[in-house]
Amino acid sequence: MERFQISKGLRVPEKGVAAQVIDESAMVGRAALTSADMPGLRPFLEVELGETVRVGDIVFRDRRRPEIAFAAPLSGRVSAIEIGPRRTLSALIIEVDADRDNESAKPPLGMDTTATTTAIPEVLLACGLWPAFRTRPFGTIPAPEAIPDAIVVNAVSGSPLAPDPRVVVADRPDAFLSGLTALTRLSHGPVYLCQDPGAALIERLPEGVEAAVFSGTSAAGLAGTQINRLCRAGPRRKVWRVGYQDVIAIGHLLDTGDYLAERVISVAGPRATRPRLIRSILGTDLRALAATETTSNPATACTILSGDPLTGHAADFLGRYHHQVTLTDPMHPAGQASGLHSRLVQRSALTPLRGLERAIAIDVLPVPLMRALSVGDAEAAERLGCLELIEEDVAALSLLCTSGADYGHLLREVLDQLAEKAA
Amino acid sequence: MNRAHTLLAHWGVTGVTTAQGLALLPPVAVVMLQNGQPKWIMLAVAVGVALFWETLFAILRKRPISVHGLTTALIVAVFVPTDLPVWQLTIALSLGVVLGELIFGGRGFGFLAPATVSLSLLVFSFPQAGLAPISPETALAVLPGAILLLILGLICWRVIIGTMLAALVFSVAQGLPSDPTTIATALAFGLVFLICDPSAAASTDPGRWVYGTLAGGLIALFSGGITPIPSEAVVFAALLASTFAPLTDHLVVLGNAARRRRRNG
Repeated sequence: MERFQISKGLRVPEKGVAAQVIDESAMVGRAALTSADMPGLRPFLEVELGETVRVGDIVFRDRRRPEIAFAAPLSGRVSAIEIGPRRTLSALIIEVDADRDNESAKPPLGMDTTATTTAIPEVLLACGLWPAFRTRPFGTIPAPEAIPDAIVVNAVSGSPLAPDPRVVVADRPDAFLSGLTALTRLSHGPVYLCQDPGAALIERLPEGVEAAVFSGTSAAGLAGTQINRLCRAGPRRKVWRVGYQDVIAIGHLLDTGDYLAERVISVAGPRATRPRLIRSILGTDLRALAATETTSNPATACTILSGDPLTGHAADFLGRYHHQVTLTDPMHPAGQASGLHSRLVQRSALTPLRGLERAIAIDVLPVPLMRALSVGDAEAAERLGCLELIEEDVAALSLLCTSGADYGHLLREVLDQLAEKAA
Repeated sequence: MNRAHTLLAHWGVTGVTTAQGLALLPPVAVVMLQNGQPKWIMLAVAVGVALFWETLFAILRKRPISVHGLTTALIVAVFVPTDLPVWQLTIALSLGVVLGELIFGGRGFGFLAPATVSLSLLVFSFPQAGLAPISPETALAVLPGAILLLILGLICWRVIIGTMLAALVFSVAQGLPSDPTTIATALAFGLVFLICDPSAAASTDPGRWVYGTLAGGLIALFSGGITPIPSEAVVFAALLASTFAPLTDHLVVLGNAARRRRRNG
C-alpha cells in the first residue's frame, strides 16, 4: 500500500466537527438536479413541468451526448425547471407529492448486471450513474465510449468536518465491494482506492484495485492531488475520478437493479447546532436543512456552503459531487463583503505572497499560473500544468490572493478553450 | 488555513500597503529622531508629492483614491540626505512614482518598486546629491517590521538569505573587508523594503534564490570596495536585480514546463 503525506495545501478550520454517527431521522421534501458542477452540460429534458417521477426515472440527458442520462433523486412532482445562461440547467426541482404514495419505487432493472464486460458502461449510462465519473484533464463527464487509463476512487475525508468514509462504507460494505469490482472492468489500467490513514477501508481488495493512503492537509482529500501522485493526468493520459459513495451506488445498482440516490452527508461548520452525519439524498434542499440545523435566526443569517469551507460554494441544493454541508458565518471569505470594507479595500492586483507557494499540493508554479489565468493565456496555462487542475484545486489560490479573482472560474474558461482545441 | 494570509487576501492590496506602512514606522521614527527638522521637511514633501500623483491618476482613471504612495514616500524619505534641494526630491519622486507604478495601473501591477526607481533616478540625475547611510539604530528598528512582513508572507526568507550570503561571499572574493554585522547593517533597510518588495522580487521559489544571489552579488560589485556599503550600491543592485526578476521567473517556468513534458512523454 502506497502512502502519501501531503504537506502543502490549506487546512480547514476545525470548528463544528461532525460526530461520525449516521442520524436516520432527516426528512427530504425537495431536491434538485443542477448542471452547476458539470461544466458545459446542456440538458435535453425528458420530463415536463408538473410531471410525476419516481426515484431513478430519467429526467434529462446531455444534449451533445444523449447516451448520458440523469436520474431523479426522489419520487415526486417536477415543481420547477430553471434554465440558466447558455441553456445550462440552473435547477430541476422535484418536490415530494403529499397526496401520493412515494414509496412505489421503480421496478428493478431487467438486465443481468454481472455477466459481461461490455454491459457495465451501458448500464451506468442508462441508469444515470455515468455522471458519477469526472475526467482529468478537464473535469468533465467522460464520453460514453471512453476508456480511462486509470480510475481513482476518492475515499479521503480531507477534514474532520466531512463524513468518515469508513462509517459510510461500513453501512453498505457489499455494495462498495461490487462497485469496486465493476470499476476494474471499466478501466485499461489500475483502479486506485485512496483512503485516510488508519484501518483499511475494506478487508480484501478485489483484483486490480490498489490501495493508497493520503494524509496531511485538506489538499489530501482533493482528487487532483491523488491523481497527481498516483497516475499524473495529461494530454495523453486520461484518468477518471469517482467518489466512494458513487461506488456504493454503482454496486447497489448492479446488485439489486435499484438506483440509489441516498447519500450520507455531514452537516458541520461553526453555525451547525448538532454537527453530525445524516442520511440524505443527492441534490437535497439545503435551505430546508439549514433551517433545522442552525440556531441563527433567521436561517438566512448563516452562509450555506455545499462542500467544505475551502472548496465549497454557497448553494441552495447539494452539489452532485459533495458529501458535506458547511454552515458558516455570513462574513465567510467566499461570501460578499459590503459597506465600509468594500470602499476601503481595493482588490485589484495580484501580490506574489509567500503563502501562495504552499497553497496547492500539485507541483505547478502558482504565481505564474495565476498570471496566465488572469489574462486568459491558455497556451501558457497548459505549459504550467493547468490540465492537472480543476476548480476545486485552485480554490485555495482565490482565497489567498489579494486580487479577489475567482481562479476557479478563470481556470474553467481556459480549460474550455483547451478542450475545444483537443477535440 | 493560515489566518495571516487569508486576512491579507480579505483586505486586498490596501492590506498589503497597511502592513508595509506598519513595518516602516519604527525605522522611519528612528531616522526622524536622529535627523530632526530638515528630515521632517523631506518626509512632508515626499508624502505630498507621492499622494498628489496618486490622486491625480485616480481622478483621471475614475478610480477610488488610494494611498499606496505613502510607503514609497516613507522609504524615499529615509534614504535622501537632509541637504537635498526640495525640487530635486520632487522631480525624482514624481518620475519614480509615475514611471515605476502609476503608468502600469497602480500598486502591484508594475515590475519595479517605485521607491527603487525614484532613488535610482535621483542618483543618476543629481550625482552630487548622494544618499544617506543607514545608521545601526535604523537597521535594528527594521527588525520588527521584517518579522511582520515575513509572517504575512510579503517578503521571502529565500531572498534575504540569498542576498546576504551573496553579498558576503562576493565581498570576501574581492578581498574587501567583510564583517557580517557591518554588511547586515548597511543592507537591512534596503534589503527588506527595496529588494524584497513583493512586486519587484521574483515570484517563484527557485527564482527567488537566483534573484537574491544576483542582488547580493551586485551589491558587492557596486560597493566598489567602500565600507560600509554605500546606500547607492543597494539601490542600484535592487534596480538591476528586479529588472532581471521577470526573466528569472520565465526561465524557472520553462524548466518546469520541460520537466512536465518529459514526464507526460
